[in-house]
Amino acid sequence: MGVTILLSYPVPENKTGPQTVDLLIKRIGALGAVQSGQFLVDCETFSSGPTMGGPPRTVHVLHNSEQPAAVFALLESPGPPPKTVPLVADGLFDLLMLKMSSIYASKKQTRMEARGTRFEIADFLVKIGTVTMSSNFKGVLVEVEYRPCFIAGNCWELMREFMQSFLGSVVQNTPPPYFQVHNRLNDVYQPLDTIQQYLDHFASYRKVAGL
Amino acid sequence: MNEMGVTTNSAFLCLFTSASAFGSPIVQMAQQTVNTAIDSLSAALKSNIIPNQEYFLQGSILDSSVEVLLHRLRGLCDNVDTTLETFHDHEMCFSIRGPNNAQPALQLRVRRSLDHNGMPMQLRYIGQPEIGDKSRPTVLRNSIDIGTSNTVVEFLTELGCRKDFEYLAKGYMFRKGRMKITVFKVFKIDETRKMSGGAFESLTALTHSYLVELSVLAPSGQDAIADDMRCFAEQLRPLVQLEKIDYKRLVHGP
Repeated sequence: MGVTILLSYPVPENKTGPQTVDLLIKRIGALGAVQSGQFLVDCETFSSGPTMGGPPRTVHVLHNSEQPAAVFALLESPGPPPKTVPLVADGLFDLLMLKMSSIYASKKQTRMEARGTRFEIADFLVKIGTVTMSSNFKGVLVEVEYRPCFIAGNCWELMREFMQSFLGSVVQNTPPPYFQVHNRLNDVYQPLDTIQQYLDHFASYRKVAGL
Repeated sequence: MNEMGVTTNSAFLCLFTSASAFGSPIVQMAQQTVNTAIDSLSAALKSNIIPNQEYFLQGSILDSSVEVLLHRLRGLCDNVDTTLETFHDHEMCFSIRGPNNAQPALQLRVRRSLDHNGMPMQLRYIGQPEIGDKSRPTVLRNSIDIGTSNTVVEFLTELGCRKDFEYLAKGYMFRKGRMKITVFKVFKIDETRKMSGGAFESLTALTHSYLVELSVLAPSGQDAIADDMRCFAEQLRPLVQLEKIDYKRLVHGP
């Protein structure tokens, strides 16, 4: 798994979501990208009931089609201090969450997913996805992975240049906020980092009222 | 961009600008949707391929006779080409209370290997055992085994689980076909002598005997495996009597 950067591409005023996706696909196609299947990242949220005592705890269960045998679970505990505990588990973890449905209930209406096409271009893997929450369009997410490298600090400049070539000025000159947290630029990149970036974006999409 | 490149790119762009979905196989493959993980799991559950039932028998043998049992198992089992396969595991049992206290608490076990530190930890949900009547040769219980990263203990604690107890299990593991036979000793953990990095300095054995367990994990409905297990258990008599143990009777006492 190489370093992956996830960007939210703002939909222009005069265009719809699918039109924006088509535009990005045309641009990446012009660079010589080859389509290679579809991808899906989804997130289901479970919340602890009132009988647990204290403020409610939230478990986000995410799946990434890139790692089909794994389930990622992120538990947000209000604390104190507030912290997020990550867990990477087998596919059967979903069965366990079903068993705990009386303790942690799923909020079906906040289920989010990012679905779209994968493109391979030289050493990069680009995924252009539409984010929906219960069939309501929320935004466009672009995921760019540079496969040969797994230390973000070593390839940030290269990735920035590549992304600016088809995304334009949406790409900032500084690394995204996720990587600016304590030394993440120098840590070995894990699939869990991609999932945490997705969760951060999904959380910000949830806050945006009806699109 | 050479002539070849230009031609390829324009053909590629045509695939996207054309309205129709049919055409070259590349477009069809590209438009195959990916199933969600939940859909795949539901499909697997429906077609009964998830091994979520455990058939098992238990017995015990005194320390003085365990060598004879190990010899007999070496003769009967598959995985004994070179040396005996040993294991040294640390198991912690957690429980989480449901919304109404009347419901029994959900029990979860976390097991990690002390011999192989880099291996995933195992999270296990075990349901209530079904003893059944005389016609059922083994105990049957629902069991979900999940491999996890090493953050699982912190995850369960923050989830609201409480650690009920923990112990160390050290012994031998044998395999015969689908059956797993473990012969191990249970040790109590002395909290005050815990070393850094999760190792334990000295161990106190709980009994002067070894616990012997014979188990098979299979999807539901494969009751024929229970008969195979009973036949295998017969071969270990009279050294060890592997039978169905009813915990409820043990708890309430004679």
